[in-house]
Amino acid sequence: MLDLKGVARYFGGVRAVDGLELTVGDGEIVALIGPNGSGKSTTVNLIAGVFPLSAGAIYFRGEDIGGLPTHRRLQAGIARTFQNIRLFGQLTVWQNLWVAQNALEDRARRGFFARWLGGRARAREEIFQLLEFSALAHKQDELAANLAFGEQRRLELARALASKPKLLLLDEPAAGMNSEEIGQLRERILSLRQRGVTILLIEHVMELVMGVADRIAVLNFGQKIAEGAPAEIQADAAVRRAYLGGEA
Amino acid sequence: MLDILQAVSDGVLFGATYALIGIGFTLVFGVMHKLNLSYAAASVGSAYAGLLVLEVMAGAPAWLVFLCAFAAGGALGYAVYLTCFHFIPLRSPLATLMATVGMLLLIDEVIVHATNGMPQAYPAIFDDVMLRAGAFTLRGDLLLVFGVAVLCMIALMVLLYRTRLGLATRAVSQQSVAAQLCGIRVGQVNAMTFVITGLLGGIAGALIGASVGALSPLLTTPLTVKGLIVTVIGGLGSIPGAIVAGLLVGGFENVLQHFRGVTERDLYVMLLLFAFLVFRPDGLFATKGGRD
Repeated sequence: MLDLKGVARYFGGVRAVDGLELTVGDGEIVALIGPNGSGKSTTVNLIAGVFPLSAGAIYFRGEDIGGLPTHRRLQAGIARTFQNIRLFGQLTVWQNLWVAQNALEDRARRGFFARWLGGRARAREEIFQLLEFSALAHKQDELAANLAFGEQRRLELARALASKPKLLLLDEPAAGMNSEEIGQLRERILSLRQRGVTILLIEHVMELVMGVADRIAVLNFGQKIAEGAPAEIQADAAVRRAYLGGEA
Repeated sequence: MLDILQAVSDGVLFGATYALIGIGFTLVFGVMHKLNLSYAAASVGSAYAGLLVLEVMAGAPAWLVFLCAFAAGGALGYAVYLTCFHFIPLRSPLATLMATVGMLLLIDEVIVHATNGMPQAYPAIFDDVMLRAGAFTLRGDLLLVFGVAVLCMIALMVLLYRTRLGLATRAVSQQSVAAQLCGIRVGQVNAMTFVITGLLGGIAGALIGASVGALSPLLTTPLTVKGLIVTVIGGLGSIPGAIVAGLLVGGFENVLQHFRGVTERDLYVMLLLFAFLVFRPDGLFATKGGRD
């Protein structure tokens, strides 16, 4: 599904991501973990196309997407959520999903009027399903800015799903959640996998990572220092050194 | 007492054109967080372009001139987008600003050249109609100016709040990065914003020409300044703010023109701006969050 080959991103002299190799197979849940500043979020941004690559290549379903603009990557089937929530605060919950859903369809529509001047009458069953899935149906007319934190996180996930991605990039989806919410999030992630969505999960919360990931890759200073099943990673000496420092 | 009322009503009716200019500034600011200083000049330029109809077809009706100004406004808006924003790095805060200053001067120069700096008579509609209530009168052409401006504002609101394009525009203005990652082509939305503000500007320019009775290159600078004042008083990025502030400035300046004469008038408008900057720096309707 996704292949990173020697992916690198430099900010001035800082090697935020340095020669990263990573493969995510169809229907897999791969977690990317690592200490703060190890390049996890940068990796997500590179895959989503927020910054250009400094070196290397990114293949998505066999095609090189390294040079595509973000909207083309979305169209190809890559969606993401943000570590710091970026909802459209002054739009309603419903409209937040509508934006994401429409932006995709617009490409198919040729005429100016059909493309830009259609109203919300063409609303879809799909949005309601997404609202149900995210337990937000009762809040659909609330402004996104007025939602509670956990609800905003759920809306971000729903918005990413509105574009029907094949690959979903989750950037610290559990940040700030309590353990009950993390449990619900785990259920949601697993049910997405059931529907055939491949997931790359960036996360600090080990409770979530160990519960859902098929495979874990560990980053430190922009380089991959370990990769394997959750149990192997827990036992890995290099990983413990990265997290605990020194020669532990 | 009646003369003050008269001055206020004339001023408020004319103020609708300031409101349109203010909307143009504020909409671009809201969507791109950039100032387009060439906007008022482009509006006057489009109004001049409307006069070209008379060159081609002598004695063309006034509404055709207006329509042509409207269309020219849209085209000029897109041209300004391409030259001052599309190819210029948006990250650098001053680059686009300076480009629009350049555009302002260019448009000004082109107008001066094309007309040899002479004022051009502008056609009006209903300029012979007067509604009277005792000594109080309403000029027909000003009523038309007001009516057309209000129609434009309603059309804009419908566009922003009832269509997909409006939704995309609001999404971009609130979270441009997320909008991009939702698949919205931000460049296209930005370009569309310029076309729409350009269309409004073309109409505003034509309405100003019609109510003043003539166009002159001397209009561009004061109109730029008034547009910015309206934008600041209304609150940067707020469309209702620009509308209210436009009418307010229109009424205010006309009352002072009545008492102190046209030469002193703008002095007091500047004082009004300072009063706002000191006592209410966010303007009447400060925009609510949603920015990063």
